Amino acid sequence: MTPGQLALRSLIVGFIITFAVITGFAYTTLLERKLLARLQGRIGPNRAGYIPVPTRSGKPRRFLGGIMQPAADAVKLFFKEDITPAKVDRWVYTLAPMLAVIPAILILAVIPWAGEITILGQTFSPYFAIAPGVNVGIVFVLAITSIGVYGVVLAGWASNSKYAVLGGIRASAQMISYELALGLTVLVPIMLADSMDLGEIVAAQKGVIDWFVFRQPLAAIIFWIGALAELQRAPFDLLEAEQELSAGYTVEYAGMRFGMFFMAEYMKMIALSAITATLFFGGYRGPFVDQVPALGFLYIGLKTFIGLCIMIWIRATLPRFRYDQLMAFGWKRMLPISVLNFVVVGIFIVLQEEGILQPLFENTLRFLGIG
Amino acid sequence: MSEKILEAPDTVQNPVEQATTELKQRFPESLSDETRPGYEGLIVSPDKLREVATTLRDELGFNYLSSVTGVDLIDDNKMEVVYHIYSIEKGGGPIVLKAQVDRDNPVVPSLVPVWPGADFQEREAWDLLGIRFDGHPDLRRILTWDGFHGHPLRKDWKEPFYEEDHKPFGSRWPGGGVRRAEELNPYGKNVQYPPGWVPTGDEYEVETDLYTGLTIKKDETIDLKTEQVTVNIGPQHPSTHGVFRMVVTLDGETIVALKPVMGYLHRNHEKIGERNTFIQNIPYTDRLDYICSMSNNLGYVLAVEKLLGSEVPERAEWLRILNVELTRICNHLWALGFLLNDLGALQTPMLYFYIERELILDFFEALSGSRMMCNYMRFGGVAYDLPDDVRGQPTLQFLDELVNERLPRALEQGNELMTGNEIVQARSIGVGYLSPEDAIAYSTAGPVLRASGIPYDVRRAEPYSYYEHLDFDVAVRYNGDIYDRYLIRLDEMYQSLRIIRQVLPYLKETEGAPIISGKPQYALRVPKGGEAYARVENPKGELGFYVTAKPKGSNPERYHVRAPSFINLTALEKMTVGHKVADLVAILGSIDIVLGEVDR
Amino acid sequence: MGNPIVFGILAIIAIASALGMLLSRNAVHSALFLVLNFSTIAVLYLILNAPFIAMVQITVYAGAIMVLFLFVIMLLGAEQLRGVRGDWRGSERWQQLLAGVLTVTLLIVFAVVLFQGGGATGSGVTAVDTSPSALGLRLFEAYLLPFELTGVLLLAAMIGVVVLNKTKKRG
Repeated sequence: MTPGQLALRSLIVGFIITFAVITGFAYTTLLERKLLARLQGRIGPNRAGYIPVPTRSGKPRRFLGGIMQPAADAVKLFFKEDITPAKVDRWVYTLAPMLAVIPAILILAVIPWAGEITILGQTFSPYFAIAPGVNVGIVFVLAITSIGVYGVVLAGWASNSKYAVLGGIRASAQMISYELALGLTVLVPIMLADSMDLGEIVAAQKGVIDWFVFRQPLAAIIFWIGALAELQRAPFDLLEAEQELSAGYTVEYAGMRFGMFFMAEYMKMIALSAITATLFFGGYRGPFVDQVPALGFLYIGLKTFIGLCIMIWIRATLPRFRYDQLMAFGWKRMLPISVLNFVVVGIFIVLQEEGILQPLFENTLRFLGIG
Repeated sequence: MSEKILEAPDTVQNPVEQATTELKQRFPESLSDETRPGYEGLIVSPDKLREVATTLRDELGFNYLSSVTGVDLIDDNKMEVVYHIYSIEKGGGPIVLKAQVDRDNPVVPSLVPVWPGADFQEREAWDLLGIRFDGHPDLRRILTWDGFHGHPLRKDWKEPFYEEDHKPFGSRWPGGGVRRAEELNPYGKNVQYPPGWVPTGDEYEVETDLYTGLTIKKDETIDLKTEQVTVNIGPQHPSTHGVFRMVVTLDGETIVALKPVMGYLHRNHEKIGERNTFIQNIPYTDRLDYICSMSNNLGYVLAVEKLLGSEVPERAEWLRILNVELTRICNHLWALGFLLNDLGALQTPMLYFYIERELILDFFEALSGSRMMCNYMRFGGVAYDLPDDVRGQPTLQFLDELVNERLPRALEQGNELMTGNEIVQARSIGVGYLSPEDAIAYSTAGPVLRASGIPYDVRRAEPYSYYEHLDFDVAVRYNGDIYDRYLIRLDEMYQSLRIIRQVLPYLKETEGAPIISGKPQYALRVPKGGEAYARVENPKGELGFYVTAKPKGSNPERYHVRAPSFINLTALEKMTVGHKVADLVAILGSIDIVLGEVDR
Repeated sequence: MGNPIVFGILAIIAIASALGMLLSRNAVHSALFLVLNFSTIAVLYLILNAPFIAMVQITVYAGAIMVLFLFVIMLLGAEQLRGVRGDWRGSERWQQLLAGVLTVTLLIVFAVVLFQGGGATGSGVTAVDTSPSALGLRLFEAYLLPFELTGVLLLAAMIGVVVLNKTKKRG
């Protein structure tokens, strides 16, 4: 491919992913509201739009009530007055929501959504490599998520409000603390697959047995906790903390600028669910995916959906940590465990490569009188 | 289970009489007996007040200052401060101290050095009656705003819409004709402004005292120069349970100082109460703690019954207990739901508890016609007998199912889901500690007091209604933190269920019996006059009503509410300093306040 | 790979953001310009076929260190620089001297590089193997000493922080 073709391909894939994810974001908000309502014994939004299902009695049954709720929300947000409070830092105040959304979309660039698909005789990989031949997808994810905090921190600072500043301070400290554990657990799949390319990591998890979650459940759990903290979802949602900071960093925002923060949050939810699926749950792989590569979309979509549901479930279940407890948990529990896990995995990989692991294992069994 | 049964107080040797004699021996010159008919207590000369109080607290065992209030004796040109002091250990009735001072320059020594719990109550008396308390550390207005002119509970203070001293009016149209609303304009002659204040300008600096009180001297030994910020939490804030405001000085996230600011919902309930006739006040008490209207009614009705000397038929007593205990469950379900919401458990526990709370409210609606503003109790009985059915079920069957199946199941479920949760425990154990000594000294009441290890419950200490015939334990927990205040509410709900189970058979037995003594009266008059103080164990704590009346009076002369939410807040700063902002919200949730009662 | 137009644009952004960082009177703005600068440099690394370094540049500098900077700025409320634009001559003489010396040194290095034609050029760099094992081998064989030195430095810094924190608590 010439650079021109490459650029065109990237552009097309980028557009498709962005629009797919914006739609996904909209319906994730609906999913959250509906599922949360169900978990709390409520009904949730059910007025905006429905799918009429014909019944024998002649009066159509309303199916999926509230299906247009995201559209209604979007319209509402767009038509709200866009307030810029006095005495804010205008530049930063305007920049912050954008800085929150852009990284959220960027993370999605490196997720392999499916294997190679042939459309109209052209092989085509729905997988946007940063540059062909060199790929460090997973480090890219870490880099972009670490940038993501700027939106929150700057929104908090620029709003010129004490609540917002407290939210911003909490955000910055929390992100740094949990990034370490997250980064260290990400190394485990990297070592297991001996690649930083997300495509190759998926390829290394051929069958369900090979999913890294079964080889490294601890790493998967730590990654999930770290991802929740990185997303600022419950029980780590200290920077919004309605009960304490009454909305934290978004307290001075209104209209679509306020909406953009939520856009960022839900997009990151989708992205991190997809990445967890990719790193630990075999990504787009599943039954018959080698024969029909297009099934990959379905599989990763399903795995992402389950991830989202678990996030919402956790939000409905758990109270919130306190700021100092959160820090203590990050530094005194998560970090040491992930370091230890990382070292142990490293030792085992070396032992296996040197051919010591197998005899060691057999000898231990013999020593214990089992083998 | 760490519960204790508090023995019913020994009535053989009345501790009040004993202490009164003892006091008179010690302070012969400065104590004199109350001589007005219908009144009781001791009149103390103001200069000896603090010594008498200290003796009562330290030597005679009367260590709990329940209520402080002022009375405007305009006929004698005097101001009176009334103290109701109880004994935690001995239970029983109060020792009532009264200090009378000159009305034009009313100065009474403050009791805050003896009982810190007098803090807010003395500020209230200053605010509403203009009695100055000498030695009070922070004597500011508390319910009205800083720029308010005058003291509204003084009998010569006229409100902007002033019509007559009391309702019902002598004439439907005072002055002989229709008066238009615009003539009653608040900027008319009834309003006075503080000197230098312009209604449209912002020149008048309010709350200077408040913010100066919060300036904390920085610790110079710490070289890290962090910025201390003063944050206004509230009045518009999602977790202050209403329009309540806390001015908090923070160092990072740690609370260095806190001042509660209330009164945003102030409507001068007591002034309204003094203008209304006795019976007109019952619906007004609904609006105090609007979650527990039934038990508010009971407190007020008991006080007025003392004045009237009326008898209550048996069935009415059982109905009262049934409703009051259901209200307690209702309130605690609400309180626990909101406490967990304040801990960040996004509404889920709250909504789970609401399912059963709805049933109770449905019952109240079928019984009294209103879900929350029940207006159910009457002097000498209750307003309505049990309805035939509730939610399509015969009432007694409905109650039976509610008490024996639905509510225990809901409590069990809540207990299972939340009590053992690690985050709940990490957030609440050891947070917001209040020692037993402080709990008494700060006049806290209800679950807050009992969670600190003081088994004091008015239903046992000074039984009213039929509580002395009922078998239940006073729930008590000993750690005094948020977690214990959470657990004790669960315990109390179990005890309430126990009480209701005992009441239900009597309700069946007394079916058809009268529910009110005599025929219902609307314009009733107090035969002899005098004073009465009645207190009930409200879900939030001890709710007291102090009512005085002139002979043949149709209105209360003085009507004071000892609001538990309001007085429990005195200990808020003590509990929060040194904790984080997030804890502040949880501690406030664990005190369980309702702003209708705090602000009155 | 070294497209001169792309490089030119990136270079201009990098220099502009560096100048913005220096000249801005608001500490938060300065920090933001620095983040922009780091990101631009990361893209330059990308052009030089070093994606791993590029990503690490963003993660570590832009993602962690600058966030900490912002944290400290916000916590201390030190957004506004003291002093007025005009009177920089009067105060803090030794810092100015140091800055002068450093500027001269930097210029000399630039001059040497330019005139000798040394240093890296875009076309000279080939793609490197970015597999984790290859990176690990590189770190622990070719660059062992700097790697270990960095490790010791960071450890020392960490111990220092712990010690300082302890004394604060005791006092």
